[in-house]
Amino acid sequence: MSRVLENVAKEVLREHSIPVPQFAVASTPQGAVEAFKSIGPPVVLKALVPVGKRGKAGGVRFASEEGEAEEQARDLLGRELRGFPVDRLIVEQKLDLAKELYASITFHPSERRPVVVVSALGGVDIEETAQTSPGSVVTATFDPFVGLPVYKAREMWSDAGLSGSELRGATDILWKLGKAFLDLDAKIIEVNPLGILQDGSVAAVALLMGVDDDALYRHQALSGRVQAGSDRAWRPLTKLEKEMIAVDEADPYRGTARYTEMDGGDIGFLCGGGGGSLLMFDALSRHGGRPANYTEFGGNPPERKVYGLTKGILSKPGVKGLFVAMNITNNTQTDVVSAGIVRALNELDIDPRTFPVTVRLAGVNEPEAKAVLSAAGVEYHGDDITMEDAASMMVKKMRAAYPGY
Amino acid sequence: MAILVNSHSGILIQGITGREASMVTKHSLDYGTRIVAGVTPGKGGENVYGVPVFDTIKQARHGNHIDTAVIYVPPAFVYDAVLEAVDNEVKLVLIMTERVPVHDVAKLIAMTRQRGVTVVGPNSVGIISPGERAKLGAIGGDNPARCFVPGTVGVISRSGGMTAECAWMVKRAGYGVSTAVSLGGDAMVGSTPKDLLKMFEQDKETQAVVMWGEPGTPYEEEVGDFIANGGFTKPLVAFVAGRFVEDLPEGTVFGHAASIVQGKSGRPSTKIAALKTAGAYVPDSFNDIESVLKQVLG
Repeated sequence: MSRVLENVAKEVLREHSIPVPQFAVASTPQGAVEAFKSIGPPVVLKALVPVGKRGKAGGVRFASEEGEAEEQARDLLGRELRGFPVDRLIVEQKLDLAKELYASITFHPSERRPVVVVSALGGVDIEETAQTSPGSVVTATFDPFVGLPVYKAREMWSDAGLSGSELRGATDILWKLGKAFLDLDAKIIEVNPLGILQDGSVAAVALLMGVDDDALYRHQALSGRVQAGSDRAWRPLTKLEKEMIAVDEADPYRGTARYTEMDGGDIGFLCGGGGGSLLMFDALSRHGGRPANYTEFGGNPPERKVYGLTKGILSKPGVKGLFVAMNITNNTQTDVVSAGIVRALNELDIDPRTFPVTVRLAGVNEPEAKAVLSAAGVEYHGDDITMEDAASMMVKKMRAAYPGY
Repeated sequence: MAILVNSHSGILIQGITGREASMVTKHSLDYGTRIVAGVTPGKGGENVYGVPVFDTIKQARHGNHIDTAVIYVPPAFVYDAVLEAVDNEVKLVLIMTERVPVHDVAKLIAMTRQRGVTVVGPNSVGIISPGERAKLGAIGGDNPARCFVPGTVGVISRSGGMTAECAWMVKRAGYGVSTAVSLGGDAMVGSTPKDLLKMFEQDKETQAVVMWGEPGTPYEEEVGDFIANGGFTKPLVAFVAGRFVEDLPEGTVFGHAASIVQGKSGRPSTKIAALKTAGAYVPDSFNDIESVLKQVLG
């Protein structure tokens, strides 16, 4: 999924006739002052970072004077919010809200249809509200062919307790959100708060949106405005992670690899297959090992990709062993994978007789893999052992090499 | 017998002339699977390892019984390919294609549900019934017997690669597989574990099922409910991987919607609890699949 930054989400939804507050983007305190002048007081300044719950993290400020806007902007810019550096702000009109509603559209994971959630008790504590007074939250799925019917939007708000002009305004905006969800191939659109203004009109005050990476090809309007895959990380990419992306992208059509750096750890982790990697990480941890990273590869990677990954994995400070394992495959050339590992070990001058290395590779060309690894002093295992055995073997080797491990 | 695919299935491959699809065609034929026809628009009249290629399924149906379609077309054309199969009375559609837009998947699920068609995938590695020598898709490659031998254990896996590894554990334990199904790795897929357990429950040959589960989706929790309500009465050995993800820092969650809609479901610990409460065997170690199978099958 691509997380869409709030300014882009607001532009896009405004194109779908959904009212949003007047806003501008600023990257300097001076820019924030300019924005303040053009929008007029009071304003809200929000850190433009791809994370939710910004208010609770201190990323939302208010200003009713020029100087205040400048000061708040100066304080926010350059800060980090949940690990993301704040280099831009969204400066927007602070609306005078009579009521804060909540509305979201996502896919219901078991119904496998779009699901709408609304509540008349919106705001930052919506999750707690859903827990403490579940009756205030109204949920309904809709048919992806038919879309969200207007009557259904109305019914939901009525059940949530709205009436009169509030009901009409909220219905209209919810129907439009349903349409935008389908039109944009969105995976989530969340409006919190969906504000009812003093004059009774309705606006999408704060917006969170994610779109389907796999459908970006049919949305020219979003190209360049969203970052594919931006929902995967819980923090910005580390330097090593960025380098590993470059390694992966150097051979974009042969094999895939993803490197995620863990805090601490001492076992370099290079595993094959999404499921197999989950199993191996759990198993290593359960046997007492401490993986330093999480790397999964698949799709028969070329030697230089495996070499690049292995080298990267071993370059993290504190890594004292290498664990390579994958499930039995029918397309991975195990000799090619082995050659990449051996090249990295040689280049880094690592002696597998003293540095613990465990390899469990079962696929194509196993005898050749065994030859390549044995020549380099690495013990080869294929389907003579299970994946679980490989994990316990790795931890045993760590214990043998490092007393007290 | 087996579920989903057997020696009588009338199999058609959509996108058969592609590199991957033609290789899979060869492997499947070598295994003994009967593939009736293939479709690639504009390539009608050609053949792939002797399998005739047609421009449309409508043409392919002349004189042929076709009830199963395997889809290898690019992501943008998958939805249309499913429609074509369904309109031509196909009963089982297996989608091998990765990266199908999720809205297309939601639509094709809604559409096939109405028409009584079973969809497996997208992003599946295939389905295999070893006793029938019938395989759909890449599963097993050119050496299916390495992991998949005939037997009485059903296999259901969210991970493509682990479908084979689970079947191999069954083989190590001294048993074999009735049918193994790779559900597809995406969050939204046509057939859920519960759907397949319904079929395995009906299948006389299947005596137990091994299931591979992962974080995300409420599928394992649904299985727990399904067993608790008497929907599946045979032994289920369920392995849930990815326990470590619960220790990762928060921040991966985007917005409140997921929490409101799903609560805590999707977490490995929630899945394990639901499965155990319902009476499924949930080993901590993947190796224990062997001993648990021996215990339940004797």
